[in-house]
Amino acid sequence: MAELVDLQNKFLRDELGEYVEEEAERQRMVDLYAETKLSMQNIAAAIIDGRHHDVDRLTREAIDDDVQALEVMDDGLIAGMALVGIKFRDNFIFVPEVLACARAMKAGMAHIEPILSASGIDPIGKVIMGTVKGDLHDIGKNLCIMMLRGAGFKVVDLGVDTSPDDFLEAVEEHGANLVGMSALLTTTMPNMGRTIEAFIDADLRDDVKVMVGGAPVTPEFADDMGADAYGADAVECVEIAKRLTEESASAHQ
Amino acid sequence: MTSRERVLAALSREPVDRTPCCNPTSLATVELMDLVDARFPDANRKGEQMARLAATGYTELGFDSVMPVFSIIQESSALGCLMQWEGKDNWPTVKMSQPIWREPDDISIPSNFLTHPDTQCVLEAIRILKKEFGEEVAVIGKTMGPWSLGYHCFGVERFLLMSHDDPGKTMVCLDKMKESTILFGQAQIEAGADALTLPDHATGDLVSGEYYERFLREMHTEFAAMLAVPLILHICGRTVDRMDGIARTGMAAFHFDSKNRPQESMEVVDSRIALVGNINNPETLFARSPEEVRVEVRENLDAGVQLIAPECAIPLQTSIENLKAIPESVREWHREKAVSVGS
Repeated sequence: MAELVDLQNKFLRDELGEYVEEEAERQRMVDLYAETKLSMQNIAAAIIDGRHHDVDRLTREAIDDDVQALEVMDDGLIAGMALVGIKFRDNFIFVPEVLACARAMKAGMAHIEPILSASGIDPIGKVIMGTVKGDLHDIGKNLCIMMLRGAGFKVVDLGVDTSPDDFLEAVEEHGANLVGMSALLTTTMPNMGRTIEAFIDADLRDDVKVMVGGAPVTPEFADDMGADAYGADAVECVEIAKRLTEESASAHQ
Repeated sequence: MTSRERVLAALSREPVDRTPCCNPTSLATVELMDLVDARFPDANRKGEQMARLAATGYTELGFDSVMPVFSIIQESSALGCLMQWEGKDNWPTVKMSQPIWREPDDISIPSNFLTHPDTQCVLEAIRILKKEFGEEVAVIGKTMGPWSLGYHCFGVERFLLMSHDDPGKTMVCLDKMKESTILFGQAQIEAGADALTLPDHATGDLVSGEYYERFLREMHTEFAAMLAVPLILHICGRTVDRMDGIARTGMAAFHFDSKNRPQESMEVVDSRIALVGNINNPETLFARSPEEVRVEVRENLDAGVQLIAPECAIPLQTSIENLKAIPESVREWHREKAVSVGS
């Protein structure tokens, strides 16, 4: 079991000491970072601090130093976003700060993605995300997408005002088994149910897991609509996506 | 007291004969649209239809105020934002993915801002309501704050990232956009508005309480001094962490969301500002029965909330029965209190 002093990067030590209040969670994070190289800790720290130019440079340097792309992604970028998620969940940071961290993540992924694609490494899951028909609000959906990408998912973003047919076509085109729908308006929430019905009509409902969220959406409403899961925020969205992906994988074994 | 007197007294935290029911945002529903033949999108764009639909808040539902601005997009349309007007069963929305401004220098209030059809219809609706209801009912207008306009005109993500990267530039933008807030507010006062809702969505769902203090409190204080009617600040979501700052702005009232408990909110504002709220929309008014509405109304009254209202613009499919339960529950609570005092 590692200790906080074992972390070489001082910023990470300070962040964990200040923002991770629950003991078991802090230990998990300490263990996570303690196993990584200093260069990876530096990338994680730059992600947490939202320094996108530094993440861009550090990621490029790591690749040039022959660190494996997967290691940079897991031990640097994703490990950094893990603490961002905790700070957001516990209201230490808010959306502007998360957007800055996500921008930093994107700067790093720009170096990693081409390498992973060329080497044929599969993402941990593929998710189709969109705001439902009639709704143009996307900040919540975009936060979910950033967190999902930060956790290693491949995400296809259908944007806003997405029709049931658009969701169906995207699932078929990309071979995804997870769909995420968002709505901010009470008037557009029922379109989640209509989209799920479209999957039933197309005989595709058993092939996909559906998660929903958005300010006015409740767990009861999600249940009524026939969704598989409801997420209250972007952090929950990632947890749910991981759980549903595992469930799908075990069902197909 | 007339409804108007009751609302204005409550906004000043003065004694009232009973707690008023108020609607600082919107009470429009599809049922009411059909009832008076004034439907979205026309009821968002034509003054006469706007007034006709707004009047139902008093004539059909029994609230003490009328509010003709059902959405939050009138000024944004007049500023040049691209719009999706939608139909009867959905809200109009700004196409925020196609923002009109990128830099402070881009910001300009068009010379036809107050004569644009989408601001003009609001002024016309207020004049009609004032003429029709005179001194009887409080007519509430709405002028959007600069933070909300920033979402519409710059796009939410770009605006929030700018606030993170360059707070100074963000302040310049807010300072330029506030002209729209003041111009439209003053025009509505001249048209006859008794009070103004000022939505400015610095919500706890997006930004910290520290943000409110840094970017908005001083500006909101300025609005309270410049606009010569009671102002009702509206911010959705969890806001209890910024209510102390809000209470120090000099605004008359704060319209608060059901994510904040009435009692804790009353304790934070500590008699420095009136509270308006906070019946839950999606779970209670939209999806449950009058009995559950009654429970929430009573919780607010027990806490001493000065004006009872839905937490935000109500879902368009909300039943009239649930909305009527708000004033009915208020009257019932007061009857019970009168009996218990008398006995």
